[in-house]
Amino acid sequence: MAKAIGVAPTRMELLKLRQRAALAQKGYDLLREKMDALVIEFFEIVRKIGVVRAKTMQQLSSAYRSLSTCFAVQGTIETYQAAREAKKEVEVDISTRHVMGILVPAIEAKPVERHALARGYGVYTTSSALDEASREFEKALGDLIKLAELEEGAREIALELEKTKRRVNALEYVILPNLKSMVKFISMRLDEMERENFSRLKRIKAMLEGRE
Amino acid sequence: MSFKIATIADAETVAGFALAGVQDVHIHERKEGTLAKMDELLASKDVGIVFITYRVAEELGLEFRRRMRTKKLLPVVLRIPDKTGWLPKVDELQEIIRRTVGAEIIVKGGS
Repeated sequence: MAKAIGVAPTRMELLKLRQRAALAQKGYDLLREKMDALVIEFFEIVRKIGVVRAKTMQQLSSAYRSLSTCFAVQGTIETYQAAREAKKEVEVDISTRHVMGILVPAIEAKPVERHALARGYGVYTTSSALDEASREFEKALGDLIKLAELEEGAREIALELEKTKRRVNALEYVILPNLKSMVKFISMRLDEMERENFSRLKRIKAMLEGRE
Repeated sequence: MSFKIATIADAETVAGFALAGVQDVHIHERKEGTLAKMDELLASKDVGIVFITYRVAEELGLEFRRRMRTKKLLPVVLRIPDKTGWLPKVDELQEIIRRTVGAEIIVKGGS
């Protein structure tokens, strides 16, 4: 009721406030629906992430293992050398798609796995451990690209969800109660004024009758 | 549109990604150098994905998180474990879920 002091208790104001309250209510309902839809979308994506993440981490750790083997078998300097020589041409197609009005990246990876000869390092001076490591890393990269798409999508949706939730809460717990209490205050005040007026008229009428 | 991939990691991880054909690699040595590189990557228009190891991200700390908050949609930044398989204790996504939904939610994989 604290905020109710600032309004003039007039019929005009009452109408305006009622309109605002109705609008706020409508906005609240819409936001609430949006939030529900976002939550569904979000959990869908989180479930997918769980699966992809487990697979990717496994692939990545096996890639690291074969890289370590490569370092051991072929020597550190030679491996770094091969890494420097390797052709670097991996590219991804990124477009965006809309989920409930949020931009979410959609990443399309071109196949990243290549033939050993296409990798660009000298085959003659390198061992098969290097080929193995490269292959594992290419696979891991493909998985990681997929994971990146999902995680970024989840992040965007989560941030939007947070924002929506804040708005819903603001409407539900601050703006709507405020408006409602203001409406109540004005209508009480108007009623009170009417009663005052009524008794005043009665009194005047009595006085007038008494004079005659 | 085609985008490049970048990796910021320690020397060995970077070697692995270079073998797989990642175009833009940066070996993390000092904080300042890596931050400068990150700014460059985040500002560039043809980098689509940036992989950064958890360890490096942790070392950058606040600076990294601030850049994550203010960055545009692209490039996508994904944190990966390095060869020790080290993961931070709190997952960022779990943290966001906890903050928004108000409860820890564990989604079982495969269901």
